[in-house]
Amino acid sequence: MSSKIEVPRPRSIDRSKLSYVRLHTPEKREAPKARLIDRHNVEYVQPKTGVLEKNVHSPVTPGVVHFPPFEVTPALEKAANKRIAQYPDDQRRSAVLPLLHEVQHRHGFISPESIEWVAKKLDIAAIKVVEVVTFYPGFRQKAPGKLHFRVCRTLSCAMGGSYELMAKLCELTGIDRGSADAHKDPISVSPCGNYSVEYAECLASCGTAPVCLVNDDFHEGVTPEKAEGLIAQYDS
Amino acid sequence: MSDITYLPGKEPHPKEHRMIFKNVDRKGWNTKIKTYLNEGGYEMAKKALKMEPQEVINEVKASGLRGRGGAGFPTGIKWGFIPPNNTKPVYLICNADESEPGTFKDRYILHQDPHQLIEGMVISAYAVGAHVAYIYIREEFPEAAVTLEKSIADARKNGFLGKDIQGSGFDLEIYVHRGAAAYICGEETGLIESLEGKRPYPRIKPPYFPAAIGLYMAPTIVNNVESLCHVVHILRMGGDEYVKLGTPRNSGTRIVCVSGDVKKPGFFEIEVGKVTFEELLYDMCGGPKDGRKLKAVIPGGSSSKILRCNETFKIGRGDDAKEMTFWQLPLDFDTLAAAGSMAGSGGVIVMDDTRRMSWVLNNITHFYAHESCGQCTPCREGSTWMKKVSDRIEDGKATPNDVQVLEEIAYQIDGKTVCAFGEASAWPVEAMIDKFRDELVGETSDDNDTRSAERVAQEKFLSAVQ
Repeated sequence: MSSKIEVPRPRSIDRSKLSYVRLHTPEKREAPKARLIDRHNVEYVQPKTGVLEKNVHSPVTPGVVHFPPFEVTPALEKAANKRIAQYPDDQRRSAVLPLLHEVQHRHGFISPESIEWVAKKLDIAAIKVVEVVTFYPGFRQKAPGKLHFRVCRTLSCAMGGSYELMAKLCELTGIDRGSADAHKDPISVSPCGNYSVEYAECLASCGTAPVCLVNDDFHEGVTPEKAEGLIAQYDS
Repeated sequence: MSDITYLPGKEPHPKEHRMIFKNVDRKGWNTKIKTYLNEGGYEMAKKALKMEPQEVINEVKASGLRGRGGAGFPTGIKWGFIPPNNTKPVYLICNADESEPGTFKDRYILHQDPHQLIEGMVISAYAVGAHVAYIYIREEFPEAAVTLEKSIADARKNGFLGKDIQGSGFDLEIYVHRGAAAYICGEETGLIESLEGKRPYPRIKPPYFPAAIGLYMAPTIVNNVESLCHVVHILRMGGDEYVKLGTPRNSGTRIVCVSGDVKKPGFFEIEVGKVTFEELLYDMCGGPKDGRKLKAVIPGGSSSKILRCNETFKIGRGDDAKEMTFWQLPLDFDTLAAAGSMAGSGGVIVMDDTRRMSWVLNNITHFYAHESCGQCTPCREGSTWMKKVSDRIEDGKATPNDVQVLEEIAYQIDGKTVCAFGEASAWPVEAMIDKFRDELVGETSDDNDTRSAERVAQEKFLSAVQ
């Protein structure tokens, strides 16, 4: 006995009726939040939607007074062009790190405006700069203090007493490291804005532990007892 | 070379054989090109430029030089991997992203003798046919980056870089590229990604062997600072003469960096395999601090497996196998591999009997949890998990089962990631548990078990069913 199974043939599709099908569902947007100002006036606060606002948060720290706000100066342009020239013409993206270093060196940290500038300068999307800023611990998203201490916490230095050094530095400068998080928020700034501390991973001078970097200066053999002298050296 | 004097307190030990570090901490030495030229600097570059590139490669192959970055891969063979029918530009990258905990050799070369590196790069670039070279220097060496840029400018002024070097028709530009404090950039494909301006997610090999598909998808040679410096000395001595230094298959000198609980930590340039741990730690480093005893040693940077000081190893195969105590082990690539560890980057970290192993383990797992790039799930999740478990053990809040859990996590990272970071983070944990299991378990307690009696019964039932 043979029976033929009826295979339903696909119905022809009238494409003109497909207009309601969305190929890309739009991102769900948060509704603006209403905030009552007084009885008659309501203010709507727009939620943050841009890639920069979502990913780069540059909380204002007391250290911000020591750094000029980001602006494109001829000196910065010149330095940037010199860096870009180091790479092949079709590989301008390579200059992301050098350019961010130039910005951070002059302005203390990487602000959303500076990211936009770097992206424009290299002709790439801002997200490609953001991904670099958020990955590398070497780029700061908030202003450090005038003196930025980076204490090595890796094994040899830890054995030499770098945890104690960090505790001493915090005590002397009045820094509370309570909210510090190695991944998300490594830098703690003192209330006066003059000092900030951060743990670094291996500064490659394990034989002279414990070591630390103060801004760009390297100091070796900084036992906790020498912490006071180290700060005094810069304050004078 | 008796006329060389060193700064007081920095004199090399008689057992050392200084080549690369000849000028480190030397009296009257500075980074100026004039000083370097007075000592016969750049003569080897001139000599190399008169040879055929293949001759230079053959010399390096004959020398048996093994890369000093960690893996110990023969440098000459690496150079030979560039496809012969290649039409793209070739790049040379100097990996100066020295971030392995325990290693600090490159710091002294970059800060005190940059011209030696530049000369080595000129020779190497000529040998592999690269006209653009980059020095990827870690962010934590801001001074060295400035020194290097100045030295490169000086070298160009003196005609050792730029167009038509010394009338040979060979062009070379060297640029300094600063990293941004990421350990993973020491991995060569991660470094290449970083140099391209991206996150340093290592590439999968194959097909991305840098010598075939590297920077900008062109053939790229990535060498460690120390390896590139060795090339200068290989040319000076000749490959056949250089190979006589050290022991067979482990030729040349290497810089060993000792840190931790010894009286005189520091760097020592030794012939590979000619110095044992006893000589290194007692004669050269002055032994343990007073009243203490050495307990464990990490022999090649924090990623290598830890060795107990009272261990004995069986080295060699078959009839040649012999028992060796830890103190008799020579510091070379093959013996340390046979002892179950590795020579790595030469960073020896010493721990004495005052150190709690749970504390050491905790410090190491924190490092790897912070530095995992997050590309592969086993490593990203595993390293953080290991950090949490080791936090518990260190705090004394762990149960004996946690040590088991830690070991299982480590074995599940090992070999399951794109790059060697997976092994680097898992090996120290595996070895630490293997060698100090009793001590770690001793810090745990069954009282810390917070599971209810009901849940324990449930789990017992489930495991019985399985």
